[in-house]
Amino acid sequence: MFRNTREGLALALPAAIFSTLLFILPVGILLSEAFRQGGSWSVQGYIDFFASPLNRTVFLRTLKLGVLVAGSAAIIGYAAAFCIVNLSPKARGRVFGMVVLPLMISPVARTYAWIVILGRTGIVNEAITGLGLSDTPIRLLFTETAVYLGLLQLFLPLMIISLVSAMENIPRDVIPAARVLGASWFAVFFKVILPLTKEGLVIGGTLVFTGALTAYITPAILGGSKVLMLETLLYQRVNVSNDFVSAGVIAMILIVMSFTANLLLKRIATTRS
Amino acid sequence: MRHLANWSILGLTLLFLIGPFVIIILAGTSAGNNLAFPPEGMSMKWYLKVFTIESFRTSFALSMALAVFGTLAALVMGIPAAYALNRYDLPGAETVRTIVAAPIIVPGIIIGLALLRYMVVPLDVTVTMALFMAHTALVLPYAVRVVSSSMQNLRVDMEEAAVLLGCSRMQAFTKVVLPNIRSGVLAAFILGFVTSFNQVPVSLFLSGPGVRTLPIDMLAYMEITFDPSIAALSALLAFMSLAIVFIAERLLGFSKYV
Amino acid sequence: MSDAFVELKNLTLSYDNSVAVPALDLAINEGELITLLGPSGCGKTTTMRAIAGLLSPTSGIIHIDGRDVTRVPANKRGIGLVFQSYALFPHLNAFENVAFGLRLQKLPDADIRSRTAEGLETVGLAGFDKRRPSEMSGGQQQRLALARSLVMRPKVLLLDEPLSNLDARLRLEMRTELQRVQKETGVTMVFVTHDQAEALALADRIVLMKAGRIEQLGTPAELYSRPRTAFAADFMGFENIFHTSGDTLVSSFGRLPVGYTAPSALLAWRPDAVTVGTGPHTGTITASSFAGGHREYVLQTPLGPLRADAPIAVAQVPIGQQISFDLPHQNARALAE
Ligand SMILES: Nc1ncnc2c1ncn2[C@@H]1O[C@H](COP(=O)(O)OP(=O)(O)OP(=O)(O)O)[C@@H](O)[C@H]1O
Ligand SMILES: [Mg+2]
Repeated sequence: MFRNTREGLALALPAAIFSTLLFILPVGILLSEAFRQGGSWSVQGYIDFFASPLNRTVFLRTLKLGVLVAGSAAIIGYAAAFCIVNLSPKARGRVFGMVVLPLMISPVARTYAWIVILGRTGIVNEAITGLGLSDTPIRLLFTETAVYLGLLQLFLPLMIISLVSAMENIPRDVIPAARVLGASWFAVFFKVILPLTKEGLVIGGTLVFTGALTAYITPAILGGSKVLMLETLLYQRVNVSNDFVSAGVIAMILIVMSFTANLLLKRIATTRS
Repeated sequence: MRHLANWSILGLTLLFLIGPFVIIILAGTSAGNNLAFPPEGMSMKWYLKVFTIESFRTSFALSMALAVFGTLAALVMGIPAAYALNRYDLPGAETVRTIVAAPIIVPGIIIGLALLRYMVVPLDVTVTMALFMAHTALVLPYAVRVVSSSMQNLRVDMEEAAVLLGCSRMQAFTKVVLPNIRSGVLAAFILGFVTSFNQVPVSLFLSGPGVRTLPIDMLAYMEITFDPSIAALSALLAFMSLAIVFIAERLLGFSKYV
Repeated sequence: MSDAFVELKNLTLSYDNSVAVPALDLAINEGELITLLGPSGCGKTTTMRAIAGLLSPTSGIIHIDGRDVTRVPANKRGIGLVFQSYALFPHLNAFENVAFGLRLQKLPDADIRSRTAEGLETVGLAGFDKRRPSEMSGGQQQRLALARSLVMRPKVLLLDEPLSNLDARLRLEMRTELQRVQKETGVTMVFVTHDQAEALALADRIVLMKAGRIEQLGTPAELYSRPRTAFAADFMGFENIFHTSGDTLVSSFGRLPVGYTAPSALLAWRPDAVTVGTGPHTGTITASSFAGGHREYVLQTPLGPLRADAPIAVAQVPIGQQISFDLPHQNARALAE
């Protein structure tokens, strides 16, 4: 009954054509334009981009924050995921639901909360001045720390979800067995848990790293023009200076970074085994 | 002892993830005119004010319409595609999958910019139309993925049985396949709705006079005003998501589809 | 034109580029119960799906009730199929599963109700109307699938190993049930199985298939007592099959002169046709098991392992002991190469 290929293609093609016209084509043109200069192919756009110290700073900062956020998410994620899989099934469902919930809430709302926490009259500053640690409020907003915290809160759930589903697949008695054989917790983690969950780590790591690279709202609200990241820089270039070549270059860099991160993580995951 | 350690790690993690929402809800109840925490007195005035701001009302309506119709459009294309990818041995199946999944991988801001430059401007497409198409393209991968996974456990011979009992192919789909993937379709709708409604980067460049999605409008408002109304609105949006997720979880055990 | 009810002429069936069934000819009479018997992968399901219209033939013709249906789509053929997995609709209760096809025909509600109730009654599921398939046992599901096809009053009812998911007891029960329903309704049935005993018990005629071809076609009695080939004999329980060369039996293990001239290239014996306890040859017992009315031995002989059943009256001989045996020519079945 399902041997008619033409019928199958007819069903699948609307979606594929739509995505091609609305997405592949425009994005493709945009990316290719970053390789054009005065009517011929060139990489001048990239050379110019990296010649600017500001751009280099923004690039390195984006990379740094991406790695930091992904790394912290992995550490917290392992601890949290390990606790979650050790809960009773009922409690596990509840806690898992609470981890998933933030993902469903508008990132604007999620980021805005940090203004309330870190702002001049926010909780932290109220506490600091209240305790007399400082007379004037400290600037916490528009710092890398603020962006880091915002991004971590935004993407940590993705890491926890990936690690929980990876850990659920660890056979039940493996960890006690390793303990009985005399392995320290340290050894259990590196010799047992990590190898058995590396697939989840790769997925979670890619999601968090890519998410942190390409988030717009968090750096825009918590970093502003003081702490530019590639996405906010791209927006500025287009909106303030109509510079579409730079926009294409940044777009290309973002895509290359995401793919490289994914490949690297996969590579690490396979060589470790 | 182990228990205590477990729960304190979880408690801290959840505090970090959920705590900010509690704070934002409280910040919205401030009686003062400036955003502060703890709030200066208690009142519901900012929660009420949100409803009177005209631009929020129009942008909320636009975001709602985009989320509903964009997701429906994505399902109209996504369900047949998921069906075809599951049922037929298509020569280009991998290519189709990659193409459809692509919008997830590429940063949203680039999609918005590309659409602005190569569709809205040269083809004279209205911004609203471009937003609608962009949101549809964005939701499409989720629609295909979620519907696919709910179709995977559905045996082909059920459809064959239906055909032998007199169904046309279309009837077999509507009478046998669709009722059995209902919860997957519903989950895809909810996930698509939430994704579209909360989407910022794609819509960033796709705004025009009087045409702004709610999150973009909130960003614009924040730049000029520093009062607790954004906190109140954020809290309301959080409650909306909470309600959706709660209902979805009750109805379908939603978290397994995320 | 013959007066067969279902006729497959020169039917070739293939998947992609591999031919599963080459040039099949088969005629089935009205009201007959035919079983398709054969080892896994021999093309039983494939043939059945072609009759049902779920697989279009590469070439050849299918006639049903005097009509060429080769190009008629599956939903217009009026054929019922009971799947091995039952393929019940999980979202519908038993009543709605059975009523499914009737509703599509837009029959009056009263008719639908009475025919559905009657169908459930026929298979012994009266009162199960509101149960979902997931709330029914394997045997009940199987009967529900049967009722769902039967109420459509199909011209032909195809059943693809419908009993294979059931336990031994239920299988026997369902076997008689099927026979009863078939006699009651007079429907032409094609029953697929790879269980020799099931085929023998049920069929008016057996179609024994091998690699997409019909190896032998006949009544159960014919196939049981007169298999024509080594393949058919093996399937019918002739466990000892040897080549012949003059007055000697030959196997890959060795040779055994038997003192009579073999009438054909192959000779076959069922285990109960082998004489043990007396005879000109000797073998060593390597296995022995009690099987109620008789004792099953495996002997190590010059021809390799030989399976022999000894009447319980013959004194038991322990494993490792020598025993004499005979392969009498009057008990042998002569086979073509
Ligand atoms: N969908 C398919 N695609 C390709 N080849 C197939 C397909 N289905 C069956 N075949 C091949 O066709 C041949 C006949 O298969 P068929 O399913 O008809 O066997 P069968 O007699 O029903 O076996 P079984 O007793 O195991 O059900 C086999 O060689 C099988 O590998
Ligand atoms: Mg079969």
